[in-house]
Amino acid sequence: MWNALRAELIYFRGYMFGGLGIATGVSGLLVALTWFKRGADGIPTFLPGMFPIIAGMVVSFIALALRSEERRARLLLAAPMTPRQLAGVMILLPVCLVAWGVLGGALLLGLTSLLAGQFELGDLTMVARFAGQFLVYALMGPLVQEAVAARRQGRSRAGLAGWANLVAVLLLLTSVYWLDGRPGLNAGLQLLVAAFMVVPTLVLYQGRTDFTR
Amino acid sequence: MNGQEPKTNPAALLSGLTKRFPGFQLGPIDLALEPGTVLALVGPNGAGKTTTLNCIAGLTLPDAGGTEVFGAEVHPARPEYRLDVGYVGEESGFFEGWSARRNLDFVASLMPGWSHDRARRLAERFALPLDKPVSGLSRGNQTKLALVAALGHGPRLLLLDEPTAGLDPVVRAEVLDVLWEITEDGKHAVLYSTHVLSDINRLADELAFLRDGQLVLRTGRDELSEAWRRISFRLQGDECDLDGIVEHRRVRTEHQVITRDAAATERQLAELGAESVEVSRMSVDEIAVQILKEGHDVERTAS
Repeated sequence: MWNALRAELIYFRGYMFGGLGIATGVSGLLVALTWFKRGADGIPTFLPGMFPIIAGMVVSFIALALRSEERRARLLLAAPMTPRQLAGVMILLPVCLVAWGVLGGALLLGLTSLLAGQFELGDLTMVARFAGQFLVYALMGPLVQEAVAARRQGRSRAGLAGWANLVAVLLLLTSVYWLDGRPGLNAGLQLLVAAFMVVPTLVLYQGRTDFTR
Repeated sequence: MNGQEPKTNPAALLSGLTKRFPGFQLGPIDLALEPGTVLALVGPNGAGKTTTLNCIAGLTLPDAGGTEVFGAEVHPARPEYRLDVGYVGEESGFFEGWSARRNLDFVASLMPGWSHDRARRLAERFALPLDKPVSGLSRGNQTKLALVAALGHGPRLLLLDEPTAGLDPVVRAEVLDVLWEITEDGKHAVLYSTHVLSDINRLADELAFLRDGQLVLRTGRDELSEAWRRISFRLQGDECDLDGIVEHRRVRTEHQVITRDAAATERQLAELGAESVEVSRMSVDEIAVQILKEGHDVERTAS
């Protein structure tokens, strides 16, 4: 499984670096414009930390779509891999891509803080909150894919359960969103929601009756 | 030692294999493929050939019945059987942005028993451009790459879905030669589906005809070519009721028939007093076309 995940990450690293480059460019532009208009004190230091995480999420959607289009499961199924391992690759790929984004975000946050000459813990928790939120979005991709696959394979109840889980996640996410004043707690709860999504995705994948698509 | 050979498991064993789709049911199919055999799965589009191969490869789970590969149950949770299987399907799932070589290196990293030397030799033999990205390879070259990837770990059972589709005649002959060599030692087996009926003559020992999801005939290639004949004759009178006839053309007293039981037909013709009887052999692909075209209720001869 780890060989397969490693290969996928290497395959999509071009997209990831491209995404991080765009995120850095956008962040740089924003910082420069803010500096020009309001001076160093006016720079929203948490903002540059957010764009690379968004890039990670977008690349995870691209990766999921491309893997599906290239029918990657068929290649992996030539090897003695179990459905659980295949699902592991599918779930861990967006997690790793968002994690790359988080890493890039932390670097940009540090750089912006240095430029602005200030560092606030609140910025870090804000970035953590974005990380949780975008990780949940990124993990919605595999869940939706498996819910659709279940319906297509005639496993209607499994498909419905998948969609029900997605609705539950959206409700949970909305509830968490209202805990606005406590970003640290907010980030932790969103990570819990992300972990909650992994379980139905894994179960749906293991229940597949067809791995050709 | 009692001098008896230890009993070997069939390369593939299908027991009541059934798969249902809306408006279509495959099976139940019972089929055993012995090591050393090349079995061609022949049937029109939508007959269930690909689904059968997918079920044996474990890519599709049957609704009933089961499949074994060299005695190991085909089940996704116990995937060790895949070490014995090489599968070439319509799609292979390669990283399209990577070169053929890099894809093969990746497959090698997943497959215990992979032989870089074997893969290199096959790639050379097929004249496969290893440094081109997969997305830039022609359909034929992608098939060659899939064949190398399927053969690199030395599987004992090869499942091939239209393996020669898109290949030029020279490479097609090379591919058929490789497949032939693989089964020469009597330990390997090949199950392949094809629309290119001329391949049957070249490669298949046995034929299995699928029609509307049902296995209608399983027979040896030689048995088939011995039993089927095209016979032309002259016969006075209207009565011409012959056994085993699958096609009958008549212009006044001149008749031409295709029979799947040549011996019985010739005997009956002699009894009826037919004149100018001319019997000609049919090629296996001609016979296969007849079976597929007419959809005769042919007798199941073996399984």
